[in-house]
Parts: sequence; C-alpha cells; structure tokens
Amino acid sequence: MMMNTIRGAIIAAACCAGVTQGYAQESVNFVSWGGSTQDAQKEAWATPFTGKTGIKVIQDGPTDYGKLKAMVESGNVQWDIVDVEVDFAYRAAKEGLLEPLDFSIIDKSNIDPRFVSDYGIGSFYFSFVLAYNMGKISGQPAGWSALFDTETFPGKRALYKWPSPGVIELALLADGVSESDLYPLDLDRAFKKLDTIKKDIIWWGGGAQSQQLLASGEVSMGQFWNGRMFALQEDGIPVGVSWEQNLVMSDFLVIPKGAKNKDAAMKFLAYSTSAQGQADFAELTAFSPINKESDSMISEDLMAFMPTTYADDQVSLDYKYWAEHGPDIAKSWNEWLLK
Amino acid sequence: MYMTLSRKKWREGTLLIPILLFLCVFFLIPLAGLLLRSLTEPSFGLQNFEQLLATSTYVQVLSNTFLVATLVTVISLVLGFPLAWCITLMPNGWGRWLLGVILLSMWTSLLARTYSWLVLLQTSGVINKTLMAIGIIDEPITMVHNLTGVIIGMSYIMIPFVVLPLQACMSAIDPMVLQAASICGAPARTVFFRIFLPLCKPGLFSGALMVFVMSLGYYVTPALLGGVENMMLPEFIVQQIQTFLNWGLASASAALLIILTIVMFYFYLKVQTDSPVSTNTGA
Repeated sequence: MMMNTIRGAIIAAACCAGVTQGYAQESVNFVSWGGSTQDAQKEAWATPFTGKTGIKVIQDGPTDYGKLKAMVESGNVQWDIVDVEVDFAYRAAKEGLLEPLDFSIIDKSNIDPRFVSDYGIGSFYFSFVLAYNMGKISGQPAGWSALFDTETFPGKRALYKWPSPGVIELALLADGVSESDLYPLDLDRAFKKLDTIKKDIIWWGGGAQSQQLLASGEVSMGQFWNGRMFALQEDGIPVGVSWEQNLVMSDFLVIPKGAKNKDAAMKFLAYSTSAQGQADFAELTAFSPINKESDSMISEDLMAFMPTTYADDQVSLDYKYWAEHGPDIAKSWNEWLLK
Repeated sequence: MYMTLSRKKWREGTLLIPILLFLCVFFLIPLAGLLLRSLTEPSFGLQNFEQLLATSTYVQVLSNTFLVATLVTVISLVLGFPLAWCITLMPNGWGRWLLGVILLSMWTSLLARTYSWLVLLQTSGVINKTLMAIGIIDEPITMVHNLTGVIIGMSYIMIPFVVLPLQACMSAIDPMVLQAASICGAPARTVFFRIFLPLCKPGLFSGALMVFVMSLGYYVTPALLGGVENMMLPEFIVQQIQTFLNWGLASASAALLIILTIVMFYFYLKVQTDSPVSTNTGA
C-alpha cells in the first residue's frame, strides 16, 4: 500500500514536470515536401530560429493538400506552417482554409510583391527552364519553341504532368503569343500546339523522376525545375539549361486556419522570409530568394544558377488566374490528354 | 443438441464484437462520411455523379481502370498458375523456399520495385540495351510510360496474390485422384481440364477476385510506369482531392468504383458459390 502511494506520487510528479517543461518550451510544426528542400529549410530557418527565439521547430511532412483541408474541417489542426505551391495558396485562401498573416510581425517591405498575399508569403521562387541532355542534343536550344522542334532536336520531351501553371503557357509562348497576351489562356491554341509533339511527351510527376528521365537520356529535352537541374550539374551530368522565357513559379508558406501555435508560426515566417533566412536557403538549394535584400548576400558562383540572374528573360505565371480557373482548365486538360 | 451448438456459436460470435466495433468506428463510419460528400458537396444532389457519367473523359478513365484490372488479372493467372503448380510439386523444403522468395518480393518496398521496373524497361534500360546488343532489335522498344509498362509492373506485383491461394488449394488436392483418372485411361489433357482445373477452381477464383479488386484501386505503379493517356480512376481521384480540393467529385468517383465492385462481387458469388476466402477444394 505504502509502496503504491509512493510510486503514484513519483509518477504524478514526473508527469507534472513533463507538463511544465512542455509548457515552457513553445513549438511549431513545420511541414514541407521532404528531401533536400526540407533539409535545407531546417538548416537555414529552423535551427537558427530556435537558437534565436527558443521556439522548437518540429519537422513534419510531406505536404498533403487533402490532409490540410481535412485538418481544418475537423478543427484538429496539427500543422502550423505548410510549404505549398503558390496556386494552391490562392485557392486554399479562397476556400477559407488559411489564417490571414500578421504583417506587424512579418516585414513585407522588402518582399518581391509577386510573392506575397494576405494569406501566404513566399518560401522561395524557382523557374521552369528548358533543359537538355548534352549527350543527346547537339547545338544550343533556346526558348520554348525549341521544345517543339523535334527535327532539329530529336528525342522525347519531358513535361510536368499536373494541370498547373507551366505547360499551357510554354506552348502558347512557343506558338508566338507574347508574354503580355498570355492571359486569359487560349486553351485550344495551346492544345493544338501540344498536339504536334504529343506522341513524344513523357510526363513527370515529381522532381526525382524528372532528373531520372533526363540523366538517363530517356528524354533529350524538357521542362524542369531549375533547382533539380542544378543538382544534376553538381553531380557532373552533362545537362544544358536555357533560361530564355524561364517561367517563374513559387512556393508559399501558409498557416492553416485554426493552427494551434499561430503566434509562434508568424514569428517563424518573419525569420524565414528575412534577408538572412532567404539568403541561407538559396545558398543550399539554388532556389531564388523572395526577399530583395538577399541577392547581395549570395555568392557569385551560385548566382549563375539562379532565376534571379535571368530576370530579363523571366515570364511570370499568373497564379491568381490558375487559382480561379484551375478546375476548369483541368477538365479540358484531361479531355485533351485522353483523346 | 442443436440448442447448445447454436448457443456456442453465438458465444463465439460475441468475441467478434471488439473487432466489429473497431471496423465500424475506424472504417465504416469514415467511409460513409466520405461517400456522403459525393451527395452533399458543393450542394445537395446528384450533380457529381451526373458530371462523372456525362463527361466522356471521365467515362474513359473508368473504362481504362477496368481494362487494366482485367488484363492484369488474366496475365497474373496465366503466369501464376504454373508457378503455383511448380511450388506444389517441388520436393519437400524446396517449395517452401520458393514460396519464401515470392513472399520476400512482397515485403520489399513497392516504390523500389516500381522504380526497378523503370530502370529495366525504359528505352535506355537494361532490356532494350541487351536486345540491341544481341541484334534482335534495331531501335529500342517503348515498354514504359504506356499501357505495356503498367501491365508488366502491376502483373509482377499481383502474381503473389494469385500464387498464395492457388498453391494452398493445389496442395490440398489428393494426387491419387489424378492418378486414378490416368489409370482409368484419361489422356493428360483430359486429366488437366476435367479433373485438375475444376479442383483448382476455388483458388483460381479467390486469387482472381483479389487481384482484380486490388488492381482497380492501384495508384503508385500506374502513376510511375503509365502514360497519362491511360489515366486510371485512382489517379483521377488523387488529382481531384489533392490539386483541386474537389472532394465531391472525388467521392463520387470512389463511390462509383465501390458500387461497380460490389455489383461484380455479387455476380462472382453467383458463379462461385464457395466462400471466396476458403481454400477447400470444393469437393
């Protein structure tokens, strides 16, 4: 009996200690895509952030839009900060799934206005570039029209599979539509252009798959994320990149509605979008910083691989247009694919 | 006598209550909730089903799904049948080793196995390079990112699910029965078609059913080895759920798949009256 009481007291005391300790240390759940990107986010943002504020950052993932929606709907939100694609950030905001950001904590004065909205702020930005396997292609293809020129540059083409910003735009650009006339998208014209290479297209759904396709020579050329091509070049694979008409995409960091550690999450966003946070992340990934102050802090060697350097060749995609018309575009897109 | 037996059965039945409760809370209720969405999102009504069945693209996705599942089932049966027979006939011990190899392949990560097929089958892959080196072909054959790739990859993954029930069924067959048929003068063909095959029927049917139903819901392998022009329903559902948050349409697709599967299961039960999970020989 006595023993039991003592044991009970010890357990109770241990529990209390656990609870108070948990209380003393604030924490946030950070969710991203896993792999090298999330490793870099941890190194560039989470670790120094914890050192500065004492707020613990728990890494979780991968990002899953369905899960995010389910959490918000059930009211049990486990995630505090989520790295999402920009068109999703706009769509989720419209559906009421996100917390508005507090710009008294997050300083947006130096953030490129393309990469900030009321409900999300850039995580990083990147470009869809035309890249080719130099073992398979002779000459230097440039611009999206080269992608459709299978006579001069023979071989299969790799394109991004999901109906999201990118493929439609590059087809229209290749067909001679000027950047300013891209939107609203002329889907019929884009599909007609894509028809000319339809039998040569191999669709990729993820970064690793895209690298595998190009490195193995399965495709000779395609539309790729610039960071993934940088990684291939780092590995010594003969990959050429054309920055002409590079299509700018970005990831946003958002806070799901009802996030349990909202205040800590805002502070985290303030750090991750700071000049230092953005520069550190860029150094690790060759993805571009969304903070304009960061550019000068990045080493010169790396600049050659970053979209920032090719600003004059950039074509900005209209994410808001996609957030609104995405489902309709997808319908015609699927129809075209299965034809 | 009858009373005690039924009471005993009933008492054994009560042991099932925990698992039934578990299934109800963690499987049936969420499933029902998901399916209800097909009727309530974005507004109450049948609009999601209407959209699914009225759009030729979606109907094609659905028919693709059934086409692939059928092909995979047939191929798994054709390849799995001799394999199961082989395992059954092997001298003691060896059969178990072979079965072990098959089980081992099932325990390996699905993603790793699918990527391995990609490495083997792609135009610059091992198979094409070998064939070209030997001089059998001049140009690489396209075996992946199309229907062929999906069928090869999925059949490979599904074969164990045919072999296991079939082998259990075959090993229960009394070899004396086959011998008796031969002694009575039946040629090998007749013994196979009139004696052996009918005795294997329960194993064949349960294996086929399992493979068919699993193939209907397969996602990873078709997504990696297939081309988009043969999109299957699971991929369509993922697209609607993940990219567009259009859960109504996705739930409707899932519901449609479940309903069609249940209808087919009903016909299956009509044809095959033995329990689909039992491995008795039906004799």
